[in-house]
Amino acid sequence: MTDEMLRRREVLRRVAWMLGGAVSAPAALAILQGCSAKEGGDAAAAFKPVFLTGASHMDIVAEVAEIIIPKTETSGAKDAGVPAFIDSVLAAVYPKDAQERFTAGLTEFAAAAAASGKPFLERGPPERVDFVKQSLDEALAGERNPKPFILMARELTLLGFFTSRVGITENMEYVAVPTAYHGCVPLSQMKKHVYWE
Amino acid sequence: MEQNSFDAIVVGSGMSGGWAAKELTEKGLKTLVLERGHMVRHPDYPTATKDPWDLPYGNRITQETRRRKYVWSRTGYPTPANEQWFVEDIENPYVEEQPFDWLRAYHVGGRSMHWARQSYRLSPMDFEANGKEGVGVPWPVTYDEIAPWYDKAEIYAGISGSAEGLPQLPDGKFLPPFDLNCVEVDFKQRLEDKLKRKLIIGRVANLTAPLTHNESPQRGTCQSRNMCIRGCPFGGYFSSVSATLPSAERTGNMTLLADKIVYELIYDNDKGKATGVRVLDAKTGAQTDYFAKVIFLCASALGSAYLMLNSVSSRFPNGFGNDSGELGHNIMDHNKPGGSSASVEGYLDVAYTGRRPNGFYIPRYRNVGKDKRGYLRGFGYQGRAARSGFGRFNDSATIGADLKKEFQEPGPWNLGMTAFGEILPYHENHMTLDRSKKDRYGLPLLVVNAVVRENERKMEEDMRNDAAEMLEAAGYKNVKVNSDNYNVGNSIHEMGTARMGADPKKSVLNKYNQVHACKNVFVTDGSFMASSGCQNPSLTYMAFSARAADHAVNELKKGNL
Repeated sequence: MTDEMLRRREVLRRVAWMLGGAVSAPAALAILQGCSAKEGGDAAAAFKPVFLTGASHMDIVAEVAEIIIPKTETSGAKDAGVPAFIDSVLAAVYPKDAQERFTAGLTEFAAAAAASGKPFLERGPPERVDFVKQSLDEALAGERNPKPFILMARELTLLGFFTSRVGITENMEYVAVPTAYHGCVPLSQMKKHVYWE
Repeated sequence: MEQNSFDAIVVGSGMSGGWAAKELTEKGLKTLVLERGHMVRHPDYPTATKDPWDLPYGNRITQETRRRKYVWSRTGYPTPANEQWFVEDIENPYVEEQPFDWLRAYHVGGRSMHWARQSYRLSPMDFEANGKEGVGVPWPVTYDEIAPWYDKAEIYAGISGSAEGLPQLPDGKFLPPFDLNCVEVDFKQRLEDKLKRKLIIGRVANLTAPLTHNESPQRGTCQSRNMCIRGCPFGGYFSSVSATLPSAERTGNMTLLADKIVYELIYDNDKGKATGVRVLDAKTGAQTDYFAKVIFLCASALGSAYLMLNSVSSRFPNGFGNDSGELGHNIMDHNKPGGSSASVEGYLDVAYTGRRPNGFYIPRYRNVGKDKRGYLRGFGYQGRAARSGFGRFNDSATIGADLKKEFQEPGPWNLGMTAFGEILPYHENHMTLDRSKKDRYGLPLLVVNAVVRENERKMEEDMRNDAAEMLEAAGYKNVKVNSDNYNVGNSIHEMGTARMGADPKKSVLNKYNQVHACKNVFVTDGSFMASSGCQNPSLTYMAFSARAADHAVNELKKGNL
C-alpha cells in the first residue's frame, strides 16, 4: 500500500507540475481514490455468492480455481479473491446461455466426481488435482465450442487472478506510468521478463 | 435576445467543433459552442489513473451495459474503464433499415476523447480520384490548397510519425516516431524484400516530444500508459478537451454550453441567411434560440445532416441547403471486413517496455503507380506485434505451480492487423428522418440505410488475400484471416452526408465548407467529404475546419456574410 501511495502521489505530482499546480479538486480526488482498493486477501472468507448459490457450487469453483493457480511461495487464486471474482463475473458479465452452460457443466462435474468414487470436496488434495487434470484433458481433447465448464472455470480463474492486485504485482512488473516505450529490449535488461500491459 | 447573440455559433465540441471554436475565437469572434452532452474539463477524467485491479469484472462490460449501449457493444470498445464516453444507445434510438453502427459520443470533446489518434493526410491521388474516375463529384479542393492547413493541424495537435516520401501518403510536420518493436522491424524488412511493400510506424496524435509551440501549456508528453481512451490527465494525446477548447477558452471569446441539443437552424428568407439555431436543454427540455452572424455545424456527419434535414422552410422544403438533393446521401465509412493474425517464431530473448499507444501502418499500395486492380481505390492495414500474455493459458493443460512458473517468461510473439478499405460515395447510401417516430425530446428519428457494394466486395478479396500473402511471405505460422461481418459505421469514420463540390446542383457545400445556398452556414465535420480515402479522417477534418474558419472570418470582414 505504501508503494502504491507513493506512486500515486508521484502521478499526482507530475500532473500538477504540468498544469502549473492547477489540478482541480475532482481530478485530484479521482487520482487519490484509487488508494482505497480492496486487498484480495481474505475476500473469499466473508463473501456470499450471488450466482454460485447451488449446493457446494461456490466451494467447488473455489477449489478448482486454487488448483489451477495454487498458493506457492506466492499468492494463489483464493488469496487474489478469484472465487468472488468468478461469481461476480458470472452474475453480471456472462450472458444467460453461458451462465446456464456454466451451471450445467458444474453440476455434471460434481456428479462425475461422485460417480467415479467420491464427491469432489470429499477427496484429498492430490485426488482433487487428478480429477481436475482429467477433466481438463478430456475437455482439451473434445469439442471446445461452446467451451466446456472446466475451460470456462479456467479462463475465469486466469482473468480474475491476472487482473488482481496480487496476481499482477507478484507475477509481473507493473508500471503505472512507464514514461516511454522501448520497442526492442533484451529480457536480460528488464526488471522482470513480463511487464503488465 | 441580446444575451443570446454571438458573432459565431459552433454546434458540437468534438474534433471539428473544437478546431472551429479555437480558430474563430482566436480571430476575435465571440463564439458560442453548443454541445448536446455533458461537460468534460481537462484533466478531470474519472477513470484515467485507475489501476487494473480497481476496475470491476477484470474490465469486462456487464450485460446491463451491453443492453444500454447496444450499438457501441458491437465494436468491443466499451469497458468499465471507458464506458462513460459511449452514448446510451437505448436512450438515443435510430432506425437501421440496413445494419448501421452509429457510434456516438455525447459529451464535451465528442469522439476526440477516445479516438484512435491515427493521423494521416489524404494525398493528391485521393483528391484527384473522383474527378479522374467520374465517381461522385470531383473534390473542389486540391492537395496543394489544403497542405498548409494540414501543416497547421499537425503542428498544433502534435503528430508523431516518420517521413517516408510516399506519394500516396504525404509526409507532414512530425514529432519523433514511436519505435517499431523487434518483430515489427522484422516484418517490415521481409515485406520490403519479398513484396516491395512499405510498413511504417503509425502516425499518431500523441506527444513523443514536447510540442513545438507554447499554445497548449496544459499538455505534457505521452507517458506510454496506453490508456488514452480513458482521457489523459497528462494531456499526452490530442483531444478538443485537452487542446482546442482550452485554447479557445484562453481567448476570453468562447461561451461553452453543455447539455444543449441544437435541433433546427433558423433561416431568414428576406436576408437569405441563417440567423441562429433552436436549442433544447437536454436536462430540462427548455427551448431557447441563439443567434449569430455565422454558424458552424460540427455535430458529426449524421448529426449535422440530421440538423439540416430537420430545418425545413419555404426556401428549403427538403432540408437546409438541400437544393441538390444530396443532403444525407453518399454516406461513406471505411470497410473493415476482417482482421488477420499469425504467430511469429523466435525473438524470444527480447520484448519491449512501456505501452505504446500506437501500432504499425501498411500504407495503400493497390492501384498506386503501375498496380492496377479490378476495382477502384485501395486499402491500408493497421496492426501490431506483441508477446502473448495470460490468455495463452486459456486452452492449455498446464496448471498449478507449473503454470505460475511458465508465466514468468513472456509468451510467443503474435502479429495481428486489420485492413481499412475505401468506400465509394453512393447516392443510395443515405439517411432520412422519420417524423412519425419521435425520441424522448419529441424529435424525429434518424433512419439510415447504407451498405457496401460491388467495388468494396471486390476489394475485400484483396484485403483478405493480401493479408495472408504478407504474413506467409514473412514466414509466420498459424496464419488466420477472419471474415467479419462489417456494418457501415463500424470504423467510426462515417462521412459524406453534405459533400462539397464545385457544382451546387450536385453538392451541398462549396470548397470552403460553406452551404452553397446559404453562405453563412459552414459544415466542417465528416459531412463534407467527397470521397473517403482509406486513411483515418480526423486530421483532414481538423485541416478543413481551420481553413473554413479562416475563410469565414475573412468573409465577415469583407461584409460578405
